[in-house]
Amino acid sequence: MSIIKTVDVKKWFGDFQALKGISMEVAEGEVLVICGPSGSGKSTFIRCINRLEQHQEGEIVVDGIELTNDLKNIEAIRSEVGMVFQSFNLFPHLTVMQNITLAPIWVRKKSRSESEEKAMELLERVGIPEQAQKFPGQLSGGQQQRVAIARALAMEPKIMLFDEPTSALDPEMIKEVLDAMKELAESGMTMIVVTHEMGFAKEVADRVMLFDEGLMVEENTPNEFFDNPKNDRTKLFLSQIL
Amino acid sequence: MIRDSKFFIENPYGRWIRDNLFSSSSSAFLTFFAGFMVIYSYRGIVGFILNPERMWTSVTYNMKLYMILAYPDEAMIRVWLSVGLALILGGLSIGFYNSGKTISLGGIFQKLFTISAVIALLIALAPTNTNVIQNDGSIEVVEIIPQDVRMLILGPSLVLTLAFFFLRNIKIKNLFNTAKVNLTYFGLIIASLYFIKIPTISLDSSGERIIPDPFLPIASTTYIPWTILYIGMLLFFFIGSLLKNRDIKIMARLIPISWFLCPLFIFSWIFKKPLVELNTVFSADIPSILVFGIIGFLIIRFSDNQSIGVYRTPINIGFLVLSIVVFLLPLVFIFKATMVLLLLLLVVSPAIATTKEGKRQLFIVWVVSLFVLTFLIRGASSDTMLVTPTGSIFGGFSLTWLLAIFGTYASFPLGLALALGRTSTLPVIRIICTGIIEIVRSVPYITWLFFASVMLTVFLPAGVEFNLIIRVLILTAFFSGAYFAEYIRGGLQSIPKGQYEAANAIGMNPFQRIFLVIVPQALRTIIPTLVGSVITSFKDSSLVAIIGLFDILRIGTSVIPAQSQPVVFIGRNLEQLVFLSFFFWVFTFVFSRRSMKFEKRLGLGER
Ligand SMILES: Nc1ncnc2c1ncn2[C@@H]1O[C@H](COP(=O)(O)OP(=O)(O)OP(=O)(O)O)[C@@H](O)[C@H]1O
Ligand SMILES: [Mg+2]
Repeated sequence: MSIIKTVDVKKWFGDFQALKGISMEVAEGEVLVICGPSGSGKSTFIRCINRLEQHQEGEIVVDGIELTNDLKNIEAIRSEVGMVFQSFNLFPHLTVMQNITLAPIWVRKKSRSESEEKAMELLERVGIPEQAQKFPGQLSGGQQQRVAIARALAMEPKIMLFDEPTSALDPEMIKEVLDAMKELAESGMTMIVVTHEMGFAKEVADRVMLFDEGLMVEENTPNEFFDNPKNDRTKLFLSQIL
Repeated sequence: MIRDSKFFIENPYGRWIRDNLFSSSSSAFLTFFAGFMVIYSYRGIVGFILNPERMWTSVTYNMKLYMILAYPDEAMIRVWLSVGLALILGGLSIGFYNSGKTISLGGIFQKLFTISAVIALLIALAPTNTNVIQNDGSIEVVEIIPQDVRMLILGPSLVLTLAFFFLRNIKIKNLFNTAKVNLTYFGLIIASLYFIKIPTISLDSSGERIIPDPFLPIASTTYIPWTILYIGMLLFFFIGSLLKNRDIKIMARLIPISWFLCPLFIFSWIFKKPLVELNTVFSADIPSILVFGIIGFLIIRFSDNQSIGVYRTPINIGFLVLSIVVFLLPLVFIFKATMVLLLLLLVVSPAIATTKEGKRQLFIVWVVSLFVLTFLIRGASSDTMLVTPTGSIFGGFSLTWLLAIFGTYASFPLGLALALGRTSTLPVIRIICTGIIEIVRSVPYITWLFFASVMLTVFLPAGVEFNLIIRVLILTAFFSGAYFAEYIRGGLQSIPKGQYEAANAIGMNPFQRIFLVIVPQALRTIIPTLVGSVITSFKDSSLVAIIGLFDILRIGTSVIPAQSQPVVFIGRNLEQLVFLSFFFWVFTFVFSRRSMKFEKRLGLGER
């Protein structure tokens, strides 16, 4: 059973067509890595999945709900789909603890004590329980990104989207974030990860896709993708990046 | 070079002087020049103040006039009650929010050393003589600080300075709570009301002035109430500490709400003299509470009902139209005011009343606010009030304060609403809000004041008439509201797009996104601007003198200089202006210092 299904998704920014018909499926518990050159529409695509962007043509079904303009559907899907951004986007006016408990308390209507207990568990899971009372501005980039992961997990989502979670980080911090993501993948979370970290793709992904100019040009198992790509475009991309 | 001598390198003070005052030849020049200017103006000011021509009793004698204008003597207890309420609340908050910050004995002496050193320096620099312009235009030099008097003050302050200088370094491990130390300082000020004496105008039993003026304590008529209030404040400080130790959580919400309601309560019940007839309570208040209580209950009960949710927009618009109609109908004022509250409930309930717990809490809040609103309006709209010779119970500082506080109270939510409206995606709302903001801002405040005093009565429907002060309040709310709106809009624009996306991505609805994520951040970035504009509206409130209200500035510039009974103060303008500038300065200075502390606490500087 696929938890995400898109059919011929097209998206224009004004005259410019960013997505030129993407059809794909993601099964429950699967880890999908999307890579591709800059401007190829990777971010646009995964942002369409939780409707931070609106697609104009095609169909996106997430967890059995089709994405339309109905506000109730959108809010329902957004609380099932967690997202981690390249630039963290933590709320700077709240402590780490408040960042994580904000959505459970206000959106899921849980009690404060229950949410805080859960938040501590998540912080331990991403390895920074001692930072709970600090403000985001007092943390390193890697710590902030792990808080962002914990914040998304606090909603108990079925799917996690990652948009280049490590590209704003210094090299020495990348590993700690990737480790947290790896742990998450092993726990059986459905994940779509846009990344240039090929090591992560090789090790963790169940499938790898290559986007180019708004099209999905290759879809393959990680081994095949790296060792024996079907498409010339993939060979070119791999030769540039590796 | 002197600069490289041992003193300027090894001694920390020397190094500070070298680095900050004489770091280069041009900065040395600036230091000397600025120092000369400061000393020159200081000597000029002292000469002006101590000039025998000045008659400072015209200020001290009229202190009551300045504060409350012609407030009747027999109702003075009301004024003291209101001051007392604020002090008690202050004591409670200091006790409850006491951060437990401590200061060592050495630290206290360090502060005292600075203060006494500054005093000694000021006395040493004070001029001996000043010029007095005679009636024929010639200038006479008069001695204002005789050498022996100077020595009499300078000697002890130098001794104290030296003593504190050495006491600074004592190594006593005792630490003192900063809040308690500050309360002690305040107590010392109160105590000084008893023993510092100044020449005071007194009248004998037949109303004749006693000459020469007897020396009496500074606040000869008010030191007893001040003492009582101070004791009350101390008492509540300890109550606050006790509540904190008991860890009573509800106080953390109750205290800010009390601060918010305190001025409203003072103006509607204590400052006036409302006499409440049981008749009106039974015919208006109780039905209003019941009706709106039930409507509120229904709104909360059905706010997450799916089949009604579809019609939410038409219902909201219907209520908006209904409340405008209610406003124009000749109904009791309480109904009209509560209608506005109901509109607010309608907007917030879908976001809060989604669980049983949320519904219960919202209903409690609703009922409590109904009672509070009715209580305040009953006091404010009562026909009976204090009678004063000027017709208004607000004058002097109480008027300035009223305008400043209500200007801020009303304009802040108004400004926030206008700012959100201006950034709204609905064209109608956006155009209306933009129109209001631009129209209000493009006309000077003084013009609006004339509009309020003369024109507003022409525009209002026949029979509707507001007190002039209320008209000015409404206008001020709109005027500063429009400015606030633009500041807040600037703050809103400074929030990065990622914050909206992050809020969306965790499933927040638009209401939660705005009020939990965007607005708190927007407000933090504009706190300095907001404080600036609150200070401006505090000062601008003196413009109301133009339309005939007696604010503190008008009292100082036209009432007191025209007094001839019982003492002649005719032409005593300069003293009042010096006093008023000092008075305004103290308030704005304290306010901006507080806001700097507040900013620091929010960590604005760090992040
Ligand atoms: N809001 C927008 N308005 C106009 N064009 C946009 C917008 N967002 C993205 N685009 C365009 O759409 C195309 C795809 O952008 P997208 O951000 O999805 O690329 P990407 O694959 O994520 O690239 P990168 O690796 O650099 O993040 C780009 O050419 C970009 O210029
Ligand atoms: Mg991108």
